[in-house]
Amino acid sequence: MTGNMNMIETNDLNLWYGDKQTLFDVNMPIKKNCITSIIGPSGCGKSTLIRVFNRMNDLIGGTRMSGTVVYDGKNICGPDTDVLALRKRVGMIFQKANPFPMTIRDNITYGPKLHGMKDQRELDEVVESSLRKAALFDEVKDRLNTSALSLSGGQQQRLCIARALSIGPEVILMDEPTSALDPIATAKIEELALELKKNYTVVAVTHNMQQARRISDYTGFMYMGRLEEFGRTEDVFENPKSELTERYVSGRFG
Amino acid sequence: MIPEDTVSVPENISKSAGGTIVAHFDPKGLLGRFRNGDGAKLFLMATVVFTVAILFFIIIFISYNSLDAIGEIGIWEFLTGGTWSPGSGAYGASSLIVGTFLVTGGSILFALPVGLGIAIYINDIASPRIRNILKPACELFAGIPSVVYGFMGLAVLVPFLMDIFPDHLNYGTSWLAGSLLLGLMALPIIISVSQDSLEAVPRSYREASMALGATKWETTRKVVMHSAVSGIAAAAILGIGRALGETMAVMMVTGNSALVPEPLWNIFDMVRTLTASIALEMPEVAHGSLHFSALFLLALILMTMVFIVNLIARRIVRRTRIRTGATVVTGRTRSMTSPFEKHKGAVRRLAVNAAVFASAFMMSSLFIGTAGGIAVGVLAAAALFVSKKISRMIGPKYVQKAVYSTLGIVVIAVLAILVVFLGVIIVNGLPALSLDFILSPPSKSGLSGGIWPAIVGTLELMTGTALISFPLGVCSGIYLSQYAKDTKTIRLARQAIDSLNGTPSIIFGLFGMSLLVIAFGWGYSLIGGCITLSLMVLPTIIKTTEEAVSAVPRELTEASAAMGASRWHTISKILLPASMGGVITGFILSMGRAIGETAPVMFTAAVAFKTTSSFSLLDPIMALPYHLYYLASEVPGSTTNQYGTALVLMIIVMVLFTAASAIRYKYKSRTGW
Repeated sequence: MTGNMNMIETNDLNLWYGDKQTLFDVNMPIKKNCITSIIGPSGCGKSTLIRVFNRMNDLIGGTRMSGTVVYDGKNICGPDTDVLALRKRVGMIFQKANPFPMTIRDNITYGPKLHGMKDQRELDEVVESSLRKAALFDEVKDRLNTSALSLSGGQQQRLCIARALSIGPEVILMDEPTSALDPIATAKIEELALELKKNYTVVAVTHNMQQARRISDYTGFMYMGRLEEFGRTEDVFENPKSELTERYVSGRFG
Repeated sequence: MIPEDTVSVPENISKSAGGTIVAHFDPKGLLGRFRNGDGAKLFLMATVVFTVAILFFIIIFISYNSLDAIGEIGIWEFLTGGTWSPGSGAYGASSLIVGTFLVTGGSILFALPVGLGIAIYINDIASPRIRNILKPACELFAGIPSVVYGFMGLAVLVPFLMDIFPDHLNYGTSWLAGSLLLGLMALPIIISVSQDSLEAVPRSYREASMALGATKWETTRKVVMHSAVSGIAAAAILGIGRALGETMAVMMVTGNSALVPEPLWNIFDMVRTLTASIALEMPEVAHGSLHFSALFLLALILMTMVFIVNLIARRIVRRTRIRTGATVVTGRTRSMTSPFEKHKGAVRRLAVNAAVFASAFMMSSLFIGTAGGIAVGVLAAAALFVSKKISRMIGPKYVQKAVYSTLGIVVIAVLAILVVFLGVIIVNGLPALSLDFILSPPSKSGLSGGIWPAIVGTLELMTGTALISFPLGVCSGIYLSQYAKDTKTIRLARQAIDSLNGTPSIIFGLFGMSLLVIAFGWGYSLIGGCITLSLMVLPTIIKTTEEAVSAVPRELTEASAAMGASRWHTISKILLPASMGGVITGFILSMGRAIGETAPVMFTAAVAFKTTSSFSLLDPIMALPYHLYYLASEVPGSTTNQYGTALVLMIIVMVLFTAASAIRYKYKSRTGW
């Protein structure tokens, strides 16, 4: 299951917001068709790191990077990167479910229409297949024309996953996707993530160490903007090389 | 069982009756009640009752006076009749109503896209520094008195339009001029309300859209505007409300001919609005005649229209507030199974094309006839189609660039109009300004001489209005904010205040004239003007006071109450000092609006010339806005003095607005909420 090919690779990545440096010399591979978790205490830079992969940090003015992030053989840090095309291939799920205040169908067709799909039948197919992949289709198939905001929190988050899948990405970034959900909804999302890694590469930021342990193949532990430790999940949790990691995963701080 | 000390209370008081009452503090006695603030509460309540009673009285008074016209002419005949010629007994108001709709509609067609564009520019593109220029510029726009807009319309806009369309405009005054001017006046409110609603769209929507590979503009157009649609609708409706009730500016530039344009979309024809009819005919009508009553009926129609418009806007705003305030955003949750759902894209495309065709046809047919109009309409629809194809070809990034540059140009154009307006007034007004101009009375019907009596009159008017409206408004506002419970009566009172908040100023003028000037026999008098203006600004002062007092954090009230302070003590010692900045800002802004008003003053207080310089509440006065109107419309050749008057008026208004923002800034930095 754990393929060896690197989907994304960061080399000596540094990142500044204005004068404040938030990432320090991060070297981290993201393996294809695996789930990679990034854990660490609040403010350690894990969300910043994940937002490098689809350049969402650009939305905040005054960010600067050095080093490289290689995706598909190209450095995606440079100014000549086609950010829109990158985001089409690297989807993102956010901490709080954020469906648009539109119908369920319009939420899914938003992306494909954006990228030029017009044919009604094609769009219908995308709606069904995306919802199926996000394990939501059976629950909503009779009410595709109702507002997405009428769904429960967990359903909304799966809708957001379906929305991200609708434009056929290769990588899915999840930024604490279950932090606002109850345990049952969380279990469904985790199950879904395990299913998704068959066809996609998943990178998840999580606050929840047990979650990282349950679902991920690789885990990175970040502390104060540095990647303190990276390795196979069982190694990081059971045989950590760094003392800091050991103290964190055993719950002594964080 | 009655506790002993309760029984002994009356004894206590009687004993001390001859001695020192204060020594025996008794919380249940009369004195104690006053100390606890019940007296203050009663007093505040009395102000509310008084204010609301007067406001209700205005509504009843206007309705009552229109009964004659309803009885004799009949409401249906009045509304549908085509000829408005009171001299020959024809009271058909349809052309006036159509004229009102046309001028208002035209102004919104112009102001909504422009205002929304500027709001998007402020929200999406503007750097913080540019924002800090645009927002005060917007307030400056809103603060210019309508008579100054009208004056600039006559002096700049109308000649400009005549230069562009020499074959179509005979006099320049036209529906087109009215709509452009009104659109300009409605811009500030459209910009500020729609920008607020764009800003209120959760960031997470933007992020989700950008993460799917959308550009900023695609996100704004497809997600942000979609989410803010009700706020944008409210902005449009508030703009309509503003335009509907406008009197002076419209009256000065629309030509005032009571005929429906021919064809209906002929923007070069003259039109006459409801407000203009009232303002033009009221001074000449015999008290108690059918014509008199008919004007009240016009006012009633106007009030109803504005009331409905404002009601809709408030509903939408409230719904939006609930939506954006709570974490759960409720969209259309019901199932949408309309037959068009499946084809809504096609339906929308068809509607857009039809609208483009129709508007292109209407406008071009005025110049090149029907056949040419159809050709141009087809071309326009085709151009729309081609531009869509092109935008698809060049890609979203370049579309964004094109759109944002266009918005930038719109912003610059509107700012340029503002600069031209202010510049023309300053450049032409400065030469007129001299000590002599300011300190001497007008001579030769205003052709020469100065404006001293008008300055004095305006200041007297402002002082009187402040003395009446400040205590009433602030006390009522405090009561509504702190004591009023959500009962039926209070809700009714709020309704009355709300509905008079947007009522056109001409209505207050009509009320003041028929009651104070005629029925009370005061004639045109300072006191009549002060009362009328006070009634007009009261609802605003009440509202802003209530908002300012309610904005004080609850914790402060609780902290004070927890230390055993009475309600009134908390209000007077904690809440009022903390909210004074907001209260005074609102009050000064109201005064700024009041002194620029012309319509109410010209019916109740202002005369064109006043020779004696004596002071009496029952004497008529001169006032700057009315003087400007008089010079601009009745005294040809007085250009220099017109600009001088406009400049002085603007300076007074600007001083008030600057003071208001300085106070607001000072208090904001001190309190932090």
